[in-house]
Amino acid sequence: MSDEVKIIEKKEIPSGAIMLYGFPDVGLVGVIAASHLISEFKGLGEVAYMDSKLLPPLIVLHEGLPHSPIRIFGNHNVLLAVSETAISADTIYPIMNALIDWGKSKDVKVMISLSGIPIQDRQNVQELKVFAAASTPEMLKMVKEKGTEIMNEGYMVGPQAIMLQQCAKTGLPAITLLAQCFPNYPDPEAAAEVLKELEKITALKVDVSKLLDKGEEIRLRARDVMRRTQQEMSKMKKTQEYDIPLYVS
Amino acid sequence: MSTRRRRSIFEIISEYYDSLEEMAEQIEETLFERPSWNQKACTIEPLRDVTVTPKEVIVTVDLPYTEENTVQVKPLSKNTIEISAEMRRKIRFDDFGITHYKGEFQKFHCQTRIPVPVFMEKMEVQFKRGILEIHLPRKHEHTISME
Repeated sequence: MSDEVKIIEKKEIPSGAIMLYGFPDVGLVGVIAASHLISEFKGLGEVAYMDSKLLPPLIVLHEGLPHSPIRIFGNHNVLLAVSETAISADTIYPIMNALIDWGKSKDVKVMISLSGIPIQDRQNVQELKVFAAASTPEMLKMVKEKGTEIMNEGYMVGPQAIMLQQCAKTGLPAITLLAQCFPNYPDPEAAAEVLKELEKITALKVDVSKLLDKGEEIRLRARDVMRRTQQEMSKMKKTQEYDIPLYVS
Repeated sequence: MSTRRRRSIFEIISEYYDSLEEMAEQIEETLFERPSWNQKACTIEPLRDVTVTPKEVIVTVDLPYTEENTVQVKPLSKNTIEISAEMRRKIRFDDFGITHYKGEFQKFHCQTRIPVPVFMEKMEVQFKRGILEIHLPRKHEHTISME
């Protein structure tokens, strides 16, 4: 792990767990999904946090006590890395590398990032699709066999892109799940879809009914994180995900 | 003797667009650096998005907790619109666990600048699942004919 990013462990970390990522991105799909997992899974408590001067100079107060904006929650079989603040483009690499190295040191079975893929005219789409991409051909095959649609061609920008790239480089099994979503508005429905797909792939049972019931409240509550995320996304040229790639064979 | 390379028109245009983009980003950041709520007016600023297509400008606004019949869209000038909507219930800071601010909000309010000339009088408005969609046909004031 690099010196500029440290993961401080607060509790004993189980080995062989599934490591999930919920980071601010389009529709805040990953953060909303992660937040729902924390409230639904009993015993998913904070087990580690990130300490780094690369993070913005902020703490998150919960019940009067300071917390790092990037924390890892866990129980006996799940580790969940969540960020409560938008990550700037120039710090994504060291932050993701540190998390991946840490997960590797805990022998995680698979890394799965929960995120979104923006679509135009989202308000007129009732049934949202979820796409997947994987770090290895074996993982891609497994995901296909579970019935998840594959994102065959295209660009991916943001933390989930770096996670997939780094895991592919080191041969770590990893999947990115991307639910169709609003680019610039918090999208609890997309978060529910990505969790349903996670259940298909990992057999982690998640009841999304409360998430859907609280949809409007989440949209209101998540406005400020969404605004900050929009700023960072524009700096990292997130709209490139709409681009048609040119493959030279 | 040093020679100065003449820049092509494409390079000049590209640099001009880059500097415009940079300027727009700076303005956007300055605008963002304020609370998204107004305690005095009891209003919350909604998230919004502006898209320019060849035929129209589409403004969307995220308005959770809102009933369609309370949504109002008013042109303030030839390039600015004002959007307001009542929420179904009052939202207090306490509802989000915030105790260091006091105040309650029951209204969304914002003003949005339209980046290109439009026919304000031909505005069309739709409200679907908490998202307001405003369509403004574009006014093409200057056209260059190709000979």
